[in-house]
Amino acid sequence: MTSTVVTERSDDHRRGDSADPDLVGGTRNGPPVLSRGAVLTTRVVGVAAVVGVAFTVWLGLWVTPPDKVQGNLVRLVYIHPGVAWVALYLAFGLAAVASLLYLWPRTRSLFWDRLAAAAVEVGVVFNVCTLISGSIWGRPTWGVWWAWDARLTSTAALLVLFLGYMALRRVPAEPEVRAKRSAFAALFAALDVPIVHFSVVWWKTLHQGATVLNANLSPTIHGSMAWTLLLGFVALTLVFVWMLLVRYRIGVLEDWVGSGELDLALRERQAEGIAPPVAPADVQPAPPAPAETPAGREAPREIAEVSQ
Amino acid sequence: MTTAPAVDQASPAAPGPPRAPLSERASHRVRYVLVGAVLVGALGFLLFKGLGTALNFYLPVNQAVHQRSSLGDRTFNLEGLVVPGSIHPTPQGVDFTLSAGGQTMRVVNDGSPPQLFQNDIPVIAVGHFAAGEFSSNQIMVKHSANYIAQNPGRVTAPNGTKR
Repeated sequence: MTSTVVTERSDDHRRGDSADPDLVGGTRNGPPVLSRGAVLTTRVVGVAAVVGVAFTVWLGLWVTPPDKVQGNLVRLVYIHPGVAWVALYLAFGLAAVASLLYLWPRTRSLFWDRLAAAAVEVGVVFNVCTLISGSIWGRPTWGVWWAWDARLTSTAALLVLFLGYMALRRVPAEPEVRAKRSAFAALFAALDVPIVHFSVVWWKTLHQGATVLNANLSPTIHGSMAWTLLLGFVALTLVFVWMLLVRYRIGVLEDWVGSGELDLALRERQAEGIAPPVAPADVQPAPPAPAETPAGREAPREIAEVSQ
Repeated sequence: MTTAPAVDQASPAAPGPPRAPLSERASHRVRYVLVGAVLVGALGFLLFKGLGTALNFYLPVNQAVHQRSSLGDRTFNLEGLVVPGSIHPTPQGVDFTLSAGGQTMRVVNDGSPPQLFQNDIPVIAVGHFAAGEFSSNQIMVKHSANYIAQNPGRVTAPNGTKR
């Protein structure tokens, strides 16, 4: 991911940010750019996430002892709950809060819509990882890959609900209309989060209860295992923050490209509308397209690099 | 986006390129409907499965014994703690006794149990009542959320505690 490439622009572009309130950081003359502080933050978070995950793997696989009941199977505890924590509480929780702030008239801004969309997309990745890691852990411990108990079923339903949110965002609509309907969809989907959390309390499930966020808020895990579990939570939180920053940035660039295409289409239509009709015999081969669009926007060279 | 409404305003005046063919727009609509139908179908399936079985994923031994007449020979999930010393391997699988709420039930399982199956651990047996016992063909181990470090170096003190 080379999101920092787009920062290598002149300050003139950055000054143009305020000229287009519909594009956060967007400009008329070039792609939106990140401030140096934002670039540094993204890099620091990314490096910290890699270091955190590496330490978690090292402690989880080589330093911590096996569990009294599960033996070495317990080592998945350093990954699975952390992944679920990110998906349920951080990603989908953030999406719900951001959606609420978008719907609230005083705080309405497309920033919240983009943030919610980015959080949901990252959350869906973590939700899938939750189901996969849980299944891998469940096979040797429970004896089955999957069971239709309340925890697993509600977690799978959560994934489907937020996939629906993502599908809804792909339906063509005005940005404000899309943002409003997406916000309602996110809030509706997020209703499943407390159901997932309390499913092991409200109903009889195969899935065990919470280790850390239990009723007494007293983790039932020993010494170095507890610290490694905590480190896993922190590391995966950093991974989430880094992915969120990058995905949000891509969302801004997508909007910028989308608006550029619209400008170009409008210009082409207007040009065709005022051009005199040409006799078939006079038709000449079209000249190569200019490097600069009619709207005066430079071709977004860096955008392609972002997706590398 | 402020530029979007301009499309609608400019469209009637500008004799620009024609809109996407009707078949293309129809295929887009069909795609959205299909995606929506798949997602709604998936959610409906999950709700059906969830409401049908998940909320009552198992019955503890004492509740199952109470409902024995209504359960008949229906297949359900029986939960309980494996009574220490009750496990007996058989040619078909394993026999053991489950206890919960002061009641016990002999389980005859056909097949190998999971690797964590042991004395004094909560398990769920999938099967049905048969005569005076529970005939099962699958065992799921319902381990706890407690994680205790395994320490083979511990010794038993004279008072029975581990040190």
